[in-house]
Amino acid sequence: MTWRRICKASDVAENSIGKFEVDGIPILVVNYGAGFRAIPPVCPHMEEPLAESGIIARCVLTCSKHLWAWNLQTLDMQGETERPLKTYDLKEEGGELFARIDGELTYEFEAEDDMDDDFFSKS
Amino acid sequence: MKIAVQTKNREFAFECSHDEAILHAGLRQGLSLPYECATGTCGTCRARVMTGEVDIGWQDAPGLANLKRDKGDVLMCQARPRTDCLLRVPSNVETLAAALPSVHRGVIRSARRLTEDVLHFELSLSSPMRFEAGQFVILEAPNLTGGRAYSMVNFHPEADHLAFVIKRKPGGGFSDWLFDQAAENVELGLFGPLGSAVFRPEEDRNILCIAGGSGIAGMMAILERATQSGYFGAHWGKVFFGVRTLADCFYLDELAEHVAAARGRLEVTVALSHEDAPSPRHQRVSSIGLASGVVLEVAAQITAGSCDDAIAYVAGPPLMVDGALKMLIAQAGLSPRQIRYDKFS
Repeated sequence: MTWRRICKASDVAENSIGKFEVDGIPILVVNYGAGFRAIPPVCPHMEEPLAESGIIARCVLTCSKHLWAWNLQTLDMQGETERPLKTYDLKEEGGELFARIDGELTYEFEAEDDMDDDFFSKS
Repeated sequence: MKIAVQTKNREFAFECSHDEAILHAGLRQGLSLPYECATGTCGTCRARVMTGEVDIGWQDAPGLANLKRDKGDVLMCQARPRTDCLLRVPSNVETLAAALPSVHRGVIRSARRLTEDVLHFELSLSSPMRFEAGQFVILEAPNLTGGRAYSMVNFHPEADHLAFVIKRKPGGGFSDWLFDQAAENVELGLFGPLGSAVFRPEEDRNILCIAGGSGIAGMMAILERATQSGYFGAHWGKVFFGVRTLADCFYLDELAEHVAAARGRLEVTVALSHEDAPSPRHQRVSSIGLASGVVLEVAAQITAGSCDDAIAYVAGPPLMVDGALKMLIAQAGLSPRQIRYDKFS
């Protein structure tokens, strides 16, 4: 019961990012040509809003603030990137995009903290 | 004081005196502590003080804005230890052996105005400094608090003098002092070299430079290094230099020398953001091209689709650099590995 409709696939143009909200949870939908990804709205590095600073090209998402980048097909981190990109499971049915949402995905900026004991050595 | 640092991958320890920035102490003792601006504006050097006391320095540093100060977050480039400390740094940190920055002293030997609000000055160093083209130092003046970052304009593998360019800022203590007072023979403390937006000939790539205003500084060192090594014999270079109006141009003769030495393989275009270009080439220095528009748009038109096998260097005010990075990735098709940048605030 946790699959939620986000938008129509055609709502997000190729190589672009759409901003949506479900139950108060902000979600970005990224169309990278070969597929879609649903991700939290900020970069895991220093919270840069990806809807403004994210660039999609050749199946790679790059945050233009400090050039952290991820392959959107494999989610491999590229170059200087030190933290993985979190994603919501996503499926397309009948031209509509659904994401599996079990609570908001965060990078320990608000809820927890990337310098607190539990998270410092793991992530 | 002893500083212990927990990082994502390892723990380290190093010495730091009470009047030294923790970032400087760590870098000069060979740790790759994270930083970008090294002057309190970007937040990259954030760390959390787990035990011990520090003096956080500049209370209003913009880089502090998003940090959790109540939990002990500090900027390592500003913080000085009062006691032994344990810090957490949420990055991978490695040890470096070569090219470590250190403390130097320099005496101002000359200062000359290039335009109404741009000044070129030179320091002679107490001991030579090894640096790479594109690096910067932090200068500390005797009557000012906090350091300022300046990229070296000159290049020499082991330099005993350094040249800088500075743009006058309204209320800018350091620039006002240099412009208005006789600064010659005044001694400054400096720390460096810093920065990774460097050019190395052995990388064997074409060069694209996009500079806003005084961001041209590091590009001059890059061009100097390239010309010294005959680099444009086998590579091309394109330089885009953004200024407001023709009256704001500087270093045109130096740029023209690089163009001449490169025998057709180096193009320099000055982009005028606040004035129409009166002609396609500068009237007095005809090897320099002129264009109208903001520098990153002018660069976008000329570089689209032709930047394979290039490394791009970008420097200037943060908004201009952000825009240039977006353009280089989205339009010029560069990957992050091909882009090196400095943002000055």
